[in-house]
Amino acid sequence: MFKLLKFLGVAMAAAALCSCGSSSQTSAVATSTARGTLAQNPPFRIASLNAADLQANLSSATTGAQLLQITGNPACGVDFYHVEFWTLGGAGETTESSGALMVPTGAAPACSGPRPVVLYAHGTNTYKALNLADVTVASNTEGILIAAMFAAQGYIVVAPNYAGYDISTLGYHPFLNAQQQSGEMIDILTAARAALPNTLSSATSDSGKLFVTGYSEGGHVAMATQRALEASGAAVTGAAPMSGPYALEAFGDAIFLGDVDLGSTEFSPLLTTSYQKAYGNIYSAPSDVYSATYSNGIETLLPSDTAIDAIFAAGLLPETAEFDSTTPVVSIAGNAALSAELTALLSVPGSANYPLPPTAQTPLFALGFGSPYLINNSYRVTYALDAVSNPDGAVPTPSAGVPLAATVPSQTLRQAFYKNDLRNGGWAPNSPTLLCGGDADPTVFFSVNTETMAAFWSSLVQAGLITVLDVNGTPAGPFAAVQTEFQANQAATLAYYQTPAGGGLSLAAAEQAIVEGYHASVLPFCAVAARAFFSQL
Amino acid sequence: MTKFIVQARIVLIAAAALAGAAPALADDVANNSARIGLYSIFYHVSSEYGLQGPYVPPGTNIDAKNVETLYLAYVRTIVPHFDLELTLGIPPLQKTVGRGPATLGSVPYDGQVIATARWLAPTLLAEYVFFSDDAKFRPYLGLGVNYTDFYDRDSTAQGNAASGGPTKLSLTSSVGVAGTVGLTYRIAGNWKAYASYSASQVKTRLDADTAGVTRTARINFGPQALVLAVGYSF
Repeated sequence: MFKLLKFLGVAMAAAALCSCGSSSQTSAVATSTARGTLAQNPPFRIASLNAADLQANLSSATTGAQLLQITGNPACGVDFYHVEFWTLGGAGETTESSGALMVPTGAAPACSGPRPVVLYAHGTNTYKALNLADVTVASNTEGILIAAMFAAQGYIVVAPNYAGYDISTLGYHPFLNAQQQSGEMIDILTAARAALPNTLSSATSDSGKLFVTGYSEGGHVAMATQRALEASGAAVTGAAPMSGPYALEAFGDAIFLGDVDLGSTEFSPLLTTSYQKAYGNIYSAPSDVYSATYSNGIETLLPSDTAIDAIFAAGLLPETAEFDSTTPVVSIAGNAALSAELTALLSVPGSANYPLPPTAQTPLFALGFGSPYLINNSYRVTYALDAVSNPDGAVPTPSAGVPLAATVPSQTLRQAFYKNDLRNGGWAPNSPTLLCGGDADPTVFFSVNTETMAAFWSSLVQAGLITVLDVNGTPAGPFAAVQTEFQANQAATLAYYQTPAGGGLSLAAAEQAIVEGYHASVLPFCAVAARAFFSQL
Repeated sequence: MTKFIVQARIVLIAAAALAGAAPALADDVANNSARIGLYSIFYHVSSEYGLQGPYVPPGTNIDAKNVETLYLAYVRTIVPHFDLELTLGIPPLQKTVGRGPATLGSVPYDGQVIATARWLAPTLLAEYVFFSDDAKFRPYLGLGVNYTDFYDRDSTAQGNAASGGPTKLSLTSSVGVAGTVGLTYRIAGNWKAYASYSASQVKTRLDADTAGVTRTARINFGPQALVLAVGYSF
């Protein structure tokens, strides 16, 4: 028995000596956490689809097939990479973030070799696990859209998920923080450029052409990024911010003065948390802003792993009631006229006391008032007092000439809006820019944002540098086809909602559904316009 | 090449150590034999749950390609009818192939060689040999233990493409039961011929790391081997 053990021991020792061989390598993990550093090099490829498979996958679902009708069939395959990189949070804190690098592939000349880069900023998303690179998930509609619109047509797409999402451990999202978000966009661009030559798709390279675009929140981010890139001396070939809240102070004033946009109860906690983290002066406690019904835990509510509808259902946020339906009676000592003016201005739009004439959107704005409500009357009054005392050039009454932002807001949230209002600083693009949106947008108002920016820039840039496109406008000019298609799509959708397959809604209910879906429905049409705009540059 | 020489030397050292392990038994009977031959290995791979991890569609699995290598063994007769056999194969380049979906996305998978590895698998068998020492044919039965160690693990270009990038593989070593049935044929003098069939239990856990994304599989290789060999007794 002893001999057997010794015998076995020798065999084991021989085996152990041989287990010294090396194994193959995986990607390298960066030791630096400096901003713009690619954390995993090369990055992980989530999926690789050739043009035919991409088309087949998209066509297999109704929404995908509809998208293809707008984007056209894929000309290229697409490789989808998950890029992890280092950036800074809203307060300058070092944090890891992630995003998508979508690389066109294939033998066609428009699919490999030197290709232009589209740097894309996504719209507001309450889903914390958002990963634009993961096209295997059907809920990633915006990731799928930019893949079909840009990558499958030969553009290298770089798009951050944003700090606070996906793998990021930052406990909040620096929502509409121009400095942070433009910095993060430039950081992922730096990381993606470092990654591309090391990927499995290295037959495609960066041509040096750079286009910046984004939708909604991402429209603001795209414009801020264009500004930051131009300030740094980087060449921007063209930009197309879409449906963004650019004139943030004007937009904030419109909302606080009663033009409550659709989605405001989602945007408010994202905004106040972002600015509280960055500037530290929005409140001493969330209950300074928010009603007792919702203030508890509101700082960490969004983004969330829970779907927004479940958050509404759980009573953690009101669906539309941004403000108290019992509007405040303002009493400012020694100023009866201002007190009366504010009291009237803060009443529910369309109500007897409301001073402004009703518009098509007045019933929508009225939905922003209810009980329980999100924001306290006392807070609303402090904001409105500043808005009336230090008025913005565009809201409530457009001033003559260039609609400047207020120069010295005193209320802290309004100061934050002013700081992130893209009129602030007097910047105007020096690269060709398309501003696209829909003029009936109930979520991000077209006139307050897009038209205000265009008017603001009109005296600052040479003629022809800025193109404004209202997809809802009378079809004319280079984008007439896009306008026609958008309007036909709206009409078809309205008719569809009234069919049994579409829910059999009444005309009024169908119109309501169109309003609710309007903001999202503009995106693919503005994106196709942006692509056409870029292709000329 | 250097690695092969190192391994060959280790095999020789092991054999020499075995030869020296029982010097007290050295007497007038030839107690030792060295065998060399063909080692043909057939796999019956099973992995109950297949490959598991992020972005792995259900039904994604792996398989091992059958392989042939050089069989080397040292056998010592402890007492009449009872032998101890230590088997070593020259570590072959083992190919692992994808099984399951024809493609992952648009990347070919099923039937593609996705990884290679070498293994060293010493097997120690206690054998009962029938009939008398001078019989022309002597059947035998054996039972023992197999140790398998995997090294030089490499994900191929196809494997990297399927996994999503350069992939680091690790495979745990395995200790399992082994059994054999065989037949000895006395050729002349100290020379004999051998034929055997053996099976062993080789279980491993595969971990594949691609840019921090880890996929795992629990694999039962279920190798079976046919050996044709000649041996010299001394």
